[in-house]
Amino acid sequence: MNEPVVVQGLTKYFYDESRGEVRAVQEVDFACRAGEIFGLLGANGAGKTTTLRMLATILAPTAGTASLLGHDVVREPEEARRHLGFYSSSTALYPRLTARETIEFFARINRYPAAQIAQRVGELIERFGIASYADVRVDRLSTGMKQKVSIARTVAHDPPVLIFDEPTVGLDVLNALELQERIREFRAQGKTIVFSTHIMSEAEKLCDRIAIIHGGRILACDTLDGLRRATGMRYLEDIFVCCVKGRE
Amino acid sequence: MFDLRDIGVLYRRELRCALRERTIIVNSIVLQIVLYPALLWLIYSGISFVQGQTEGFTSRVALAGLPEEHRFLREELEKDERLALTSSSDPESDLRAGSLDLLAEFEPAPGAPAEAGNFKVRLAYDESRDRSRLALERMTEIVARYRDRFVLQAGERLGLEARQLQPIRVAMRNTASGRQMGEFILGRMLPVFLIIMLAVGCMYPAIDSTAGEREKSTWETTMTFAVPRANIVAAKYLYVSTMAACAGILNLAAMLLTVKSVLAPILGEQVGRLTFAIPLAAVPLIVLMDILLAMFVAAGMMLLASFARNFREGQSMVSPFYVAVFLPVIFLQAPGMELTPVTAALPVVNVALIFRDAISGVYRWPLIGLALAVEAASVALLILLAAAVLRHEDFVIGSCGGSLGRFLKQRIIGAGARREKAA
Repeated sequence: MNEPVVVQGLTKYFYDESRGEVRAVQEVDFACRAGEIFGLLGANGAGKTTTLRMLATILAPTAGTASLLGHDVVREPEEARRHLGFYSSSTALYPRLTARETIEFFARINRYPAAQIAQRVGELIERFGIASYADVRVDRLSTGMKQKVSIARTVAHDPPVLIFDEPTVGLDVLNALELQERIREFRAQGKTIVFSTHIMSEAEKLCDRIAIIHGGRILACDTLDGLRRATGMRYLEDIFVCCVKGRE
Repeated sequence: MFDLRDIGVLYRRELRCALRERTIIVNSIVLQIVLYPALLWLIYSGISFVQGQTEGFTSRVALAGLPEEHRFLREELEKDERLALTSSSDPESDLRAGSLDLLAEFEPAPGAPAEAGNFKVRLAYDESRDRSRLALERMTEIVARYRDRFVLQAGERLGLEARQLQPIRVAMRNTASGRQMGEFILGRMLPVFLIIMLAVGCMYPAIDSTAGEREKSTWETTMTFAVPRANIVAAKYLYVSTMAACAGILNLAAMLLTVKSVLAPILGEQVGRLTFAIPLAAVPLIVLMDILLAMFVAAGMMLLASFARNFREGQSMVSPFYVAVFLPVIFLQAPGMELTPVTAALPVVNVALIFRDAISGVYRWPLIGLALAVEAASVALLILLAAAVLRHEDFVIGSCGGSLGRFLKQRIIGAGARREKAA
């Protein structure tokens, strides 16, 4: 398989004091192609974040495998992370660094070639329209400004794979639309994008293929047209409900 | 496993962030340099002022049964401006009420006196009142002076010389030089402040780099770096240890530079005769002990604080360790406390005692070696414990609630018991 992201039988069980064993993710399989936005669509608690955290090597799978550009997330976690940019609402920026320092630091720590870091930082500042506040500390920036810096730091080391875990949570409409536009740009650059959301319209507009995840399992995975054909439904909301009800 | 380049990048980031945080600057740098010497000066000035005020008090003294033969003693007491002789119908009650500071009761001396009117004097005072204790000091001094003169005069009348009356004389002479006295005072003060200030300087960075990251939601960001987790932990540990060691050294330097001014209010003119300096040869050992102590305190505080989900939790989790670190300081002031095989084996205490010895130019190398080994072993033990904790991913992602105690009980001791049961 030549796909940049390959997930096979990925499973994660947790032990929770009050709930006992929690099967957060069960035998999830998917693969993502270069230049594709792959959507994980599911309600809250469906297993999206756990799946993406395993892919980002933050969590170790209980069973199954996942690889990023051929690097196994368990055996070669550092190599896997080197080829990955991870963005989520829970990955905040360091408040006491400036925007410029933040981008530079992420490029450096993720091993972007040292000689090209200054140029890369300048490019990103220009491309994301950060120049006017590049030397302002992050804790003094507005939410929209922080979001731009966050995206810039995610791609600072120019990773071929990007994970966006519910990236628009907490953003206003304009900022959410801008973020979607950026994600499309990354696709145009040939990057592989794994995108999780619980917002149907977002998945509908943005994703080339959508995996519907519920109860830790993938119930369906196809293009929007493919899902429509398989379920006979037009709208993603109906498709989602059909899949979930069919499962239950 | 450890990549110095990665650790360097992470360490610089931690340090840069820390030096932009007002609370860290205040706790780890400003307090050490300015506040504590200034605070001590204020405290000592206050003590000196209160002592001066107390000295200004007139002691109210009642006399009972002073023999007529000793009327000169009464005259002497009356002449002394520090005393006011009063009469009291119920001196015991007046003493209790605080309207009288001292009652001197004269009784005939037992046995066969050589001189008429020999007496025994019983001084009644209230130990719980400064003013009454001061009256006792003054009265004792006057009566002793009078007694010496009286004995001499009585001797003369009997044809005896002073040397015959006092065949054994005690004369005191302090052989310590100003430098030695300075070293003694520094040895009492500096180790105590080093420990306290180092712990103060370590506390905020330790919490900020662990619980603080969780509170600011940057913990997961940090976990996504393309470097081994051990490097992240090493950089954080290095940063907290640096802040702690710097806090200790900065305080030491500030105290050394200001000690004369700080002590001037209580030592008065005597301070001019003292030399406060650390032997140059002791500096490397003191710096080494400071670094080891910083590493020990940093490891302990980070380990505890890393269980907290926010800064407030971090403070409450670290506080017991903070108290445990400076508890030995209390015992350091006990007379006879010195570096022995037992004290050399006690972390924190050993550092303070080696430091105290080094100031006086004393180096007990075998015990210093033992202390270094104990400190290094303590640091290693804490790091091993941290490594055991880091193996649990719910801890790494910050979803693990509880404390170190609960973690050890459930995951280490409990896991062992469960394995035994399963077997």
